Amino acid sequence: MSDEIQVSVRTLGDVATVIDLMGDVTTFAEEAINQAYQGVSSGGAVNIIFNFRENDYINSAGIAILIGVVTEARKREQKLVMTGLSAHFQKIFRMVGLTQYADLYPSVDDAVSALRNGGSG
Amino acid sequence: MRPQGSRVVELKIPSELGYEKIAREAVATVARRLNFGEEKIEDIKTAISEACTNAIRYGSGADARMKVVVVLTADDEKLDILIKDPGVSGIAPIGGGETGIPDIKGMVEEKKRLGGMGLYIIRMLVDEAEFIQPNDDDEGNQFRMVIYRIPSDEENKSEVGDSGRRK
Repeated sequence: MSDEIQVSVRTLGDVATVIDLMGDVTTFAEEAINQAYQGVSSGGAVNIIFNFRENDYINSAGIAILIGVVTEARKREQKLVMTGLSAHFQKIFRMVGLTQYADLYPSVDDAVSALRNGGSG
Repeated sequence: MRPQGSRVVELKIPSELGYEKIAREAVATVARRLNFGEEKIEDIKTAISEACTNAIRYGSGADARMKVVVVLTADDEKLDILIKDPGVSGIAPIGGGETGIPDIKGMVEEKKRLGGMGLYIIRMLVDEAEFIQPNDDDEGNQFRMVIYRIPSDEENKSEVGDSGRRK
């Protein structure tokens, strides 16, 4: 019933590593998201972009998974950025306070520009 | 389209995570017929997802043999959503329950367990949300949400007569 999440990883030069998420971000996505994050972390990623597909379904269990990633990223002094979220889910992420720990940008390009300039969203 | 009297849609979904998406799609269809705006429809979809997820996970132990019942009642003033579950993991306290802002700092610092955000999100997105006392014929939990209709500009124009007063 759940749209199984597809997770892929790409590197944008020395600027950032992108984790592309396609599908539902719910409790079923936990293993895939954590595996991708652990993989890029062990590869030495410092700036990590979680790129969502705009119309995918995200629930509070999915947000809890992302908070778990934030926790790990803080320990490793990584910078987390999130892109591609719909206006609705940007609002939800702000509502629960996730944006205190991860900047939001409309697109990967916007995030990369900001990271190059050392800015925050 | 504006309802005359009330319209009721009732769904029974298996108590299995993922099936809440059927309730999301159903409520979106009903909300569009009530002329809710797209952002409000997204709010309602998220609220019903969280409420159904709670009913599946906590109200019926994610046992797919059980059912979660979703009743959508639309009338001129509001969309009323009732979520019923068997309450196998215990009965939720009647009323608003926990309303605090999630302690995300505590979660990030690993002082608080992850989760517990669903009810807060629901309350931020709908006009009313509470556990209610089931009727005598029903057992288990019943969680009710209400979203009031705000007439759109188009409806306002059509309902204002020559005198400028609303009919």
